[in-house]
Amino acid sequence: MSHAFFRSIFRVLPLLLVLSPVNSSSCTMGNKTTEIRVKYENILSHDIEELVNMSAEYRDRCCKNKRHEHSKVFFCNDTQEIGSLQSMACNMLRFFNKQKINKEFRRKAALVSCGTLQVLQCKCERHKKEKVCTQVNAPNNEDTETVEQPKKKCNQEFCELKENISSLRSCWNKFEKIISR
Amino acid sequence: MAVPGASLVPILLLGLGTCLAASPSPKGVECILFNEEYMTCTWGSGQTLTANYSLYYWYENKLPVVECQQYLWDRSVRIGCRFEQSEIIQFQAFYVRVNASCNGQTLEIPSNRMELQNLVKPEAPVNLTIHNMSGNQLQLTWSSPYPKEQCLEHVVKYKSNKDTSWTNQEVKGVIFSFPSVDYEKYYTFYVRSKINNYCGNTQLWSEWSVPVFWGNNSTSKGSSGPERPRSPRRPRSVLTVSPRLVAGVAEEQLQWFWIHTVLIPIASCLLLLVLVVLLVRMERVWVIIMPRIPNPSKNFDDLFITHNGDFQVRWLPWLTTPLSWWQLPTPLTPLCPSRNGSESLKMLWRVSSPTTVKASAT
Repeated sequence: MSHAFFRSIFRVLPLLLVLSPVNSSSCTMGNKTTEIRVKYENILSHDIEELVNMSAEYRDRCCKNKRHEHSKVFFCNDTQEIGSLQSMACNMLRFFNKQKINKEFRRKAALVSCGTLQVLQCKCERHKKEKVCTQVNAPNNEDTETVEQPKKKCNQEFCELKENISSLRSCWNKFEKIISR
Repeated sequence: MAVPGASLVPILLLGLGTCLAASPSPKGVECILFNEEYMTCTWGSGQTLTANYSLYYWYENKLPVVECQQYLWDRSVRIGCRFEQSEIIQFQAFYVRVNASCNGQTLEIPSNRMELQNLVKPEAPVNLTIHNMSGNQLQLTWSSPYPKEQCLEHVVKYKSNKDTSWTNQEVKGVIFSFPSVDYEKYYTFYVRSKINNYCGNTQLWSEWSVPVFWGNNSTSKGSSGPERPRSPRRPRSVLTVSPRLVAGVAEEQLQWFWIHTVLIPIASCLLLLVLVVLLVRMERVWVIIMPRIPNPSKNFDDLFITHNGDFQVRWLPWLTTPLSWWQLPTPLTPLCPSRNGSESLKMLWRVSSPTTVKASAT
């Protein structure tokens, strides 16, 4: 009986360690809503608007009203808007190196992601992603050729990025509405 | 505005065959959040629809699917659904499905994905008030029934009784400054609102507010017939300036205008002229301002007469202090008349004061 007891204890303890919530946001601008609002309204919202307009220009029929099964979906959770924005921004950074997507479009998307992280003073869990921000802000000296989007084949990555952009924008709208009078 | 549900239109017609064969096409499902207080989703009118419709809705993360609790009717036909505030969730994907049944046949028609924060139509602004500012400026202020004023942008529409078209001006806050107003004209102002890009992505403007007027309407009789949009749900608040009061204000302004631009300059010029005349006339004052040039001619009357005005005087440069004649190093010789032209008469000047000069000839 005693060995069964100890077995159960030893099983629980590692589980507790693994499942211990690591929900603490690595964003430091949490309470400075006024400052966030000013930066968002004066700077970031315009970039987001441009990105949304670019997204609308690149029409892809297979993206229309279709949620891709394997795409990662981020929700703008109630009372956790900053954390949600952080997750969305960090996720969007991975599209920066996707060669199948138009270069200017993914660069703009990365710019908005980096801007979001900067306004909220957030870091991504995987620190490699933030290196993208230094590349984005640096002058573009690369001569890498852009792979044109195949016209017939549906570009799942592009559709996924569009969904991310839409989610990010909605989450910012939600956050702005909450902190506004 | 037909919104994500337009794809329902042909399916509604084709799927149900004879039921809707003779009817014109409905507009499609159109959902609008009125001031974030309630929402209506409509798909047509009783004139065009004859089938039995049912609406079901759900949110992306929240099941189950729920049927509409409050249908909108027109001529015994369901034409829409009303959602109360408790049933509305913004910033979550919203789906609607309309079931159309006719003669035992039922067709399920899903709608597109909607985001309700982008379907908000705020209520029209109220309490339009005009303030008179300095420098012929007007200031128009208003308030909005929508709870989050910082999420709104506004447009002011105005024209005078002498204008042929309206002028639209976008405004971010709740204050509009009209820089230069003409007191002879009669102005009409309207305001409407929309959710701005910071809080949503919508093109739904509110209705125009009840108008407010300003100016002199004595010459115009109904010349600018303003529309009166209806705001049936809330009491109206209107500020109208009466013509008599406006006329009185205009007259007072005119008086001040004459005083400032005509009377005061003329009075100033007259005063200046009087001062100048007095100044010239009072010799004592004039002499101080314009001292006379010293004229030592009186001291040389004898010499002048003797030599018939033909003599020369040379100033001794080494003399910096007043000296008397006995202090001169060399004897003086008189100057011969200028007939010789080569000799000069050395004169001794005794400067006794800065203003008088005393000369003596030896």
